[in-house]
Amino acid sequence: MLDDELLTTHLQELRRGTVVLACLLILRKPNYGYALLDLLERSGFAVDANTLYPLLRRLEKQGLLTSDWNTDESRPRKFYRTSDLGGELADTLSHDWDELHAAFRTLKGES
Amino acid sequence: MTTTATTTLTDRYIDAILRRVPSRQRPDIERELRASIADALDDRLEAGADPAEAEVAVLTDLGDPAKLAASYADRPLHLIGPAHFLDYTRLLGALLITVVPTVAAIVGLLRAIDGDGAAAVAGDAVGAALTAAFHVTFWTTLVFAVLERVPTLKPLPIPKWTPAALPEPVGRRTRYAELIAGTVAMVLFTSLILVSPVLRLQTDASGDPIGALDPWLWDTGLIYVFVGLLVIALAFNFATYYAKGSVPVAIGRAATDIATSLTLIWFAANDHLVNPAFVEAVGWSSDVTKWINGGVVAVCIASLLSTVITAVRDYRQR
Repeated sequence: MLDDELLTTHLQELRRGTVVLACLLILRKPNYGYALLDLLERSGFAVDANTLYPLLRRLEKQGLLTSDWNTDESRPRKFYRTSDLGGELADTLSHDWDELHAAFRTLKGES
Repeated sequence: MTTTATTTLTDRYIDAILRRVPSRQRPDIERELRASIADALDDRLEAGADPAEAEVAVLTDLGDPAKLAASYADRPLHLIGPAHFLDYTRLLGALLITVVPTVAAIVGLLRAIDGDGAAAVAGDAVGAALTAAFHVTFWTTLVFAVLERVPTLKPLPIPKWTPAALPEPVGRRTRYAELIAGTVAMVLFTSLILVSPVLRLQTDASGDPIGALDPWLWDTGLIYVFVGLLVIALAFNFATYYAKGSVPVAIGRAATDIATSLTLIWFAANDHLVNPAFVEAVGWSSDVTKWINGGVVAVCIASLLSTVITAVRDYRQR
């Protein structure tokens, strides 16, 4: 039986980075922090709010996301959108993911 | 709980975050975080939660504000990270094994020159060693903690590691030469001690030799205890050579070395090393005795330190 702590550590290690790719893909349509949190969870990328919010700012600082304040509604919200650079990174990462997926399938097919 | 109290809780949370992030980021982070908290709160209220409980739950989900703020500000949550840790331990180790014994020896020597008793000399030397170790550790740690936090400051370019930097194993021949040299020195030293009462370096009025070492050592028989310790130490040297890596032998060797040094320090501290009659016969001043006592104590402390360092190093290399 797998120890819970051990399992959590390894799952975290494996999933680290997938959230970045998921954000870059989802944010090709502009969205704001809380809605993105919900969207990610429903798409199967559960992430904590206190991980996602700083992550969005870091990706913006790296030029992978752009942001705009939407003040049309009563509650002003910061909308993030994937930049051209971010789109490029998303393509590269997706390609890498596909290759890994193929590699795993080969591994499992041989065993 | 009233609505005012719950609003205060969010305000306090936001305040705790903003205090810990750079000022130019504050307005933007505050606006976004307030909106996110309000969104999360609305969701919970729509699901029929109690307002006060919902607020607590939302803030609990966000977690420790210090941690979230560090994440916003891209600040490390460790003192010294993996990029600097090895340089830190190497530098700290090198400084400790060079600076600390040097400081102890200098302070001990100065006190001995002042003519203090051997106990005071030893006490001050140990005190200075502890103070030096504390300062070296504190300042080195501080410098590396700053390096870790100021990304523009890069430590000195350290040459890339290559396999050539691996320590060479000490050859059996080298260790054999060390063993023989140690044995010869030990035999000469022990013989000199034992024959010193009959060496005719100085003679008294009746023509009998005056020994250089304090006759008290022979009267009490303690000189034989000391020589015994030297012989045991020699035996352990041989045992280490033939049974390298044996833990009982290593412990026995360290214990004998420590006992030998402590015995010598004890002799010197009680002024039982040099024969006062011998000093008088040669015509030295009594200061010479103090110098000798101080010197012996300093050498013994250095030997104690080296025994401990060697023991720790050998233990870690096992």
